Amino acid sequence: MKSASEQGAAPPELAGDTGRWAVEVHGLTKRFGARTAVDAVDLLVPRGVAFGYLGPNGAGKTTLIRSLLGLTRPDSGTISLLGVPVPEQRGRALARVGAIVDEPRFHGHLTGRENLKILAAARGGDADQQIGPALERTRLTGRADDKVSSYSMGMRQRLGLAACLLADPHLLILDEPMKGLDPAGMHETRELIRSLVDEGRTVVLSSHLLDEVERTCDQVAIVDRGKVIHQGSIGELMAGTEDRVEVECADPAAAARTLEGSGIASRVTITDTGLDIVLSAGPARQRAAEITRRLVEAGIAVHEVRPVHTSLEQWFLSVTSRLGEGS
Amino acid sequence: MTPLDSTAVRRDSWLPPVPLIGAKILELRKRTVLMAVTVAFTVALPVTFYGIRLIYHLSDPAHYGPAGDPGALATAGTLMSEFGFIVAIAFGATAATGDLSDGMFRHLVITGRSRIALYLSRIPAGLALLLSLAAVGYTLAALATAYLGSPHSPGVPSPSAGALAGAGLWLELYLVIGFTVGHGLGALMGQRTVPVILLVVLQIIITPALADHALPHLVNVERLFVGVAMDQLQPSLLAGPHIGPTGGKVALPPMPTWAMATVIAGWIIGWSAIGAWKTATRDA
Repeated sequence: MKSASEQGAAPPELAGDTGRWAVEVHGLTKRFGARTAVDAVDLLVPRGVAFGYLGPNGAGKTTLIRSLLGLTRPDSGTISLLGVPVPEQRGRALARVGAIVDEPRFHGHLTGRENLKILAAARGGDADQQIGPALERTRLTGRADDKVSSYSMGMRQRLGLAACLLADPHLLILDEPMKGLDPAGMHETRELIRSLVDEGRTVVLSSHLLDEVERTCDQVAIVDRGKVIHQGSIGELMAGTEDRVEVECADPAAAARTLEGSGIASRVTITDTGLDIVLSAGPARQRAAEITRRLVEAGIAVHEVRPVHTSLEQWFLSVTSRLGEGS
Repeated sequence: MTPLDSTAVRRDSWLPPVPLIGAKILELRKRTVLMAVTVAFTVALPVTFYGIRLIYHLSDPAHYGPAGDPGALATAGTLMSEFGFIVAIAFGATAATGDLSDGMFRHLVITGRSRIALYLSRIPAGLALLLSLAAVGYTLAALATAYLGSPHSPGVPSPSAGALAGAGLWLELYLVIGFTVGHGLGALMGQRTVPVILLVVLQIIITPALADHALPHLVNVERLFVGVAMDQLQPSLLAGPHIGPTGGKVALPPMPTWAMATVIAGWIIGWSAIGAWKTATRDA
């Protein structure tokens, strides 16, 4: 999945914005008493990407987002959104920012449309004219005139997204946008986020659903105990991980002997159905093809060769558990 | 997408825009229970009071005087001011805390609109609803006094239009105080129940006790209570038989008008400022 900016086609609508980064944070610290929730975080989110902000519960994700949006005052550090400093020019910065923080809640005694009218009135400008399109885009038009108290969690999430769209946002900051959604809702939200990124908008999302982040985001920051421990594209993040293949074959022991010392595999493990092979450095596809060729030449029937991708979740868990052991 | 700098809207201004006030009126108007209670104590209360008096008078004119006897307006005014004040407190506290308790405050802050503007927008919105309903109720009471009273009781002078209007303005001012104090205290505490209880205790227990007894050496302290100042300012038309030395119904030595105005303005402005400060600094 490539974003508009990655494709080198910066949308003309972005003309007029300043700065390279949608979000730029330096040395941001927020303490609650003795506990440091956000610890000297530096964060750079490029424009026009879907950016995942990942971390275990209590890592300080929501506190960082609340600081970005001026919902709470950080103890130190600098923030700018879309090139505009916050909190110095908070009103101007947030003019083109839409955000959901925590579970989206609204006035339950009002309809979805009425809630959006209130938010549009607070935004001013032409936000009122965005209500219809926002409801349509989030597929809420049919329920827009029902009271929010009758909405499901998924519908409230969509209403939260509709509220974001009132700003015609250049930047969306979404805290756990998949929370409470069923698989179909997750799929719809993922598609919506990707479509927003394809329009040149920047989406920052935090989520504990690492698989969803891997599917949705172009870049990611990993946060643990208030600190950002890695930041970059998912490709870069995964570059240091092992390439593995699983091989189902007729004689695993003979197959293992064939491959050991061949230079193709750095580690070969015999399993119930065949082999689990960690590939040595080099192009993974070519290494897998070479393994197949050698086994066939050795007269061993090969039933299946499966590449095993290390997921972001596996990487994330390995990193955070390593940190846990070190403490 | 619209360019960032095309947004000419001034979100940093602390003045609430008219559409935001209109949106807040919508939000409050749709609170069914709040509106039902408000209508009950501002409109239904005087209607019921005069309706019962009219029925008694029509059924037995020899024993029951005219429904709109001027003395009845004092009773109706007392009912409307006491219950109206409590309703005004609840209305103000609800206006202050509705966004917080419903989780809407965070959405509103994220719009970039000044928090002070968000806070101030609730005051004209709430007062527009509360005062208009109170005006309807009081107008009905005044009409009853004008048309169902004096012609049937020749010995009692009919109150002038100016006196009726003055009593109405006093009543409305009483509700403005209840609303703004409830609003400020609600915003400070972030919830509506405790502020309502505290202010009801102040209104129905502490203030009457202070107003009826001049405490030696503490008279000036007693005068700092807004209910005491309002009682001194009360028009004689509403004070009825409990009229005090200055036309109000209290036992304290009279306050100068400037002192009454200062105490009343201090409560309105002071509590509003405290609520605004808390709204501006609260974690959302």
